[in-house]
Amino acid sequence: MCRYCVEYGGGTKWYLNPDNYRDELYTAEVHEPTTRMLGGVLKNTFEAGAMSNVDFMAPDLYYSGNLSMALEQVTAHGGQIVPLEDALKIIDLCHGPFLLAHCACRRYFGRKDVIRCMYFWPTVETALKERPWEKDSRVISKKEAKELEREFEKKGFLHSIWHAGVNFDGIPPIVICHCTATDCIPTKFRLSYGVMNGQRKGEYVSMVDPVKCREGCKDYPVCMQRCQFGAMRYSPADRILYIDPQACFGCGLCRAACPHGAIKLVDRLSFPSLVDTW
Amino acid sequence: MEYTHITPRPLITVDEEACGNAILCLKCVKACLEAGPNVIGFMNSEPPPVGENAPQRLEDIPHKIIFSGMVNCNGCGKCIEACPKGALTLQMPEPQVPAARVQHADIVFCGTLRDGTKVFPRD
Repeated sequence: MCRYCVEYGGGTKWYLNPDNYRDELYTAEVHEPTTRMLGGVLKNTFEAGAMSNVDFMAPDLYYSGNLSMALEQVTAHGGQIVPLEDALKIIDLCHGPFLLAHCACRRYFGRKDVIRCMYFWPTVETALKERPWEKDSRVISKKEAKELEREFEKKGFLHSIWHAGVNFDGIPPIVICHCTATDCIPTKFRLSYGVMNGQRKGEYVSMVDPVKCREGCKDYPVCMQRCQFGAMRYSPADRILYIDPQACFGCGLCRAACPHGAIKLVDRLSFPSLVDTW
Repeated sequence: MEYTHITPRPLITVDEEACGNAILCLKCVKACLEAGPNVIGFMNSEPPPVGENAPQRLEDIPHKIIFSGMVNCNGCGKCIEACPKGALTLQMPEPQVPAARVQHADIVFCGTLRDGTKVFPRD
């Protein structure tokens, strides 16, 4: 259990704790600037500015701790991977509507299919008012949001929940993103710079049922192409797939791709070696 | 910005005057995306106005080129070739011996060093 759930979980995971979705939390001291910037005209300056400054904030890659602190305390925006079922619970916890908007990592780095992010209610009105040039943003209901989550899962996009600052009063979730580890800038910082607060690992890890896996795909494992973190190893001798639990982020995309039901997500805390790996 | 990376990595700098409004071109962004590293992006030079003068299209906002995650840059130079205005310069790092490192244990999570110095003062 990472410190988010210890301090703000209320007995469950931090993003499943209804206390963190209180209306007044989004206007509280530390969370208000992040909510205002993400929901207003400063969104691009905030997001792309943070991305472009990271190289200058981390001159020494052997020590990524100060960058990790900066993301949590100064930028006050960070995320965690969640599997599909938790993403659906988050949508249930949050009262609508949602704003389906572009992903900054995709649009501002040259991709064409950019509509990936679901912003929560505090940003919806201001975003539509202050950013009239974003003609592709639209307001969606809870039902549409859930359908989109399932669609993204089928296509192989990670779900991640992002907060608007950590303070003593809580961590208000602000947006669910759907991207790939090769495009998501915070995930790239996590993978290549070791910045933990950019993108935290999920609360689960994948486990393979060896019997079902051996009798399943044989030569062509279809789940492997879904793993974006290099956590899967296929042994042609055993005709079985191994998962590196230290590399697994618990996104559940391999489980969605497995045609034989051989992969399941288990709680990260059930492995003693992983309790401190976030 | 005068800057030296302690950990070596490529450094690309852009001459913003020569580049102009980046969103009208974006050839380097496209070149980097196609080459693989995907480290070149663009952002608005300053936040656009709100209200009646708010721009109606993304192209109406002045943009500049940014670089993110330069450890992923492999120094292929495709962005330099793609730039029609010659605004980009690529500087590859020189091989060097590892620099002195900060001990992890000397910094606690609150942002305060052991001797009381604030690394990220809140106020």
